[in-house]
Amino acid sequence: MAMQETKIVGDSFQVGVRFQRYWDTSMAIAFFCGELGAGLFFVSFLFDFVPGMVTGMLITGVFKSYFHIAHMGVPMKSWRAILRPDRSWISRGLMAIVFYLGFGTVHVLNLSFDLETTLGLGTALGNLVQFLAAAAALVVMTYQGMAMSHSSAISLWNTALMPVSGLTYALTGGAVLTMVMGWNSLFAVTPEGLNNLATEVLLLLLVDAIVLASVVYSANNRSRGGQVSVSLLLSGIYRQPFLFLVVGTGLVLPALVLWLVPGNFIAALLAAATILAGYLTYRVLIFKAGVYEPMTSFRPSA
Amino acid sequence: MARYGMVFDLRRCIGCNACVIGCKQENSLPDGMFFTRTLSEEYGVYPAVNRVYIPTLCNHCEDAPCEKVCPSGATYTRDDGIVMVDADKCIGCGSCAVACPYDQRSQVDKDLLSHGLFGTDELTPFEKDGYQRFVPGTITKCDFCSERVDAGLDPACVVTCPTDARIFGDLDDPASKASTLIRERDGKPPMPELKTRPKVYYVD
Repeated sequence: MAMQETKIVGDSFQVGVRFQRYWDTSMAIAFFCGELGAGLFFVSFLFDFVPGMVTGMLITGVFKSYFHIAHMGVPMKSWRAILRPDRSWISRGLMAIVFYLGFGTVHVLNLSFDLETTLGLGTALGNLVQFLAAAAALVVMTYQGMAMSHSSAISLWNTALMPVSGLTYALTGGAVLTMVMGWNSLFAVTPEGLNNLATEVLLLLLVDAIVLASVVYSANNRSRGGQVSVSLLLSGIYRQPFLFLVVGTGLVLPALVLWLVPGNFIAALLAAATILAGYLTYRVLIFKAGVYEPMTSFRPSA
Repeated sequence: MARYGMVFDLRRCIGCNACVIGCKQENSLPDGMFFTRTLSEEYGVYPAVNRVYIPTLCNHCEDAPCEKVCPSGATYTRDDGIVMVDADKCIGCGSCAVACPYDQRSQVDKDLLSHGLFGTDELTPFEKDGYQRFVPGTITKCDFCSERVDAGLDPACVVTCPTDARIFGDLDDPASKASTLIRERDGKPPMPELKTRPKVYYVD
């Protein structure tokens, strides 16, 4: 068997690289909403910031669900996706979403109405509920990457970095949204918390950049299909959105804004908008640039 | 119990695509959907150029990635090794399609079933009858023509092939033609590095 060329053959009857076409933009937005919502919940959870937790659960519960159902071929049977947690990350993820929304709601109610005292339940149960909510949110941030990393023939996805990138991007988005949402409430009484969170967002942006570079590097060194994906992102049809939106707008610009204009709400708002724009573009492009490895070549050896 | 598989004899395949047409007719596949394809690959430098034809279909892997990721239990493996999709259980999430390393799954888009092979919105009686086997929105794929296999027949692509380039048989039976070819001509599965243990082999 000899080396093959890495031409993109589309739907033709030729040996070569084919785009994955089953997970579309709707699915990418669902992934984005799932991770962002869980990230916002998790960071807000660390600050006991109820509006952030509620918004996070709404983003996940409403928008992620909507875009998943929009993608689903048979939406009325979507409930069946929970049936095989023994083998499918989609099933595990769906269970995590149920736990995250369920325990998250109970935790928010507990924080808002002090259910522990009102109902005489004690703190142990409240601690258990909040632990389960936070743990489930962490699973929601990572399971989509786990599901993608099981696609062995799509080298761009087939890496342990996929769940890591989901986690770091989710935490970045969650942190910057918590910062903006709590600017005049949560952080009005604890300004040092605001400074700490801004620093953490900067650090998370650095981690995002490292993870993104690692995803690109590992795909490029993994296989011919991975090289095609990377060339699509760096020099091909997705070059402009990848470099301009994902890297420039999503990582570099917000880092500069937060670093050069600290303590300014408008700057923080701009940073949040650019981070989310870059994050969403990253999610869409990872799907669009995913290609199947070319079929084994059976041309006779020279 | 048999363990069905298929062997492609690359010396015999002439790239006529009769198997593709036979498959489409047997399975009433709508426009643009294929359960099998004969891929071609050119190589060499003019004037010393050549072309090889590589038939492909679902490899009915022993360790099927599509089955492992299916969240609804729709994808399953029969006792005879044929990997199936239960359309009544499939939710159309597409996770099997992105997990299949061989890109051998098809989504039954609703639009596909609304127009016929002749490019009109009016379906022929053949198409009307045949399209009933599909559930819109679900994922479908080659099942080695399981209904024919259950009736003791070979898959449609195998009986259509004019050069006997496709050989179907029991891989557990050392005397079957498929097993003999794999043994004697060093049959190779596609993309063995992925360790999916396909039940489809190529001999050249």
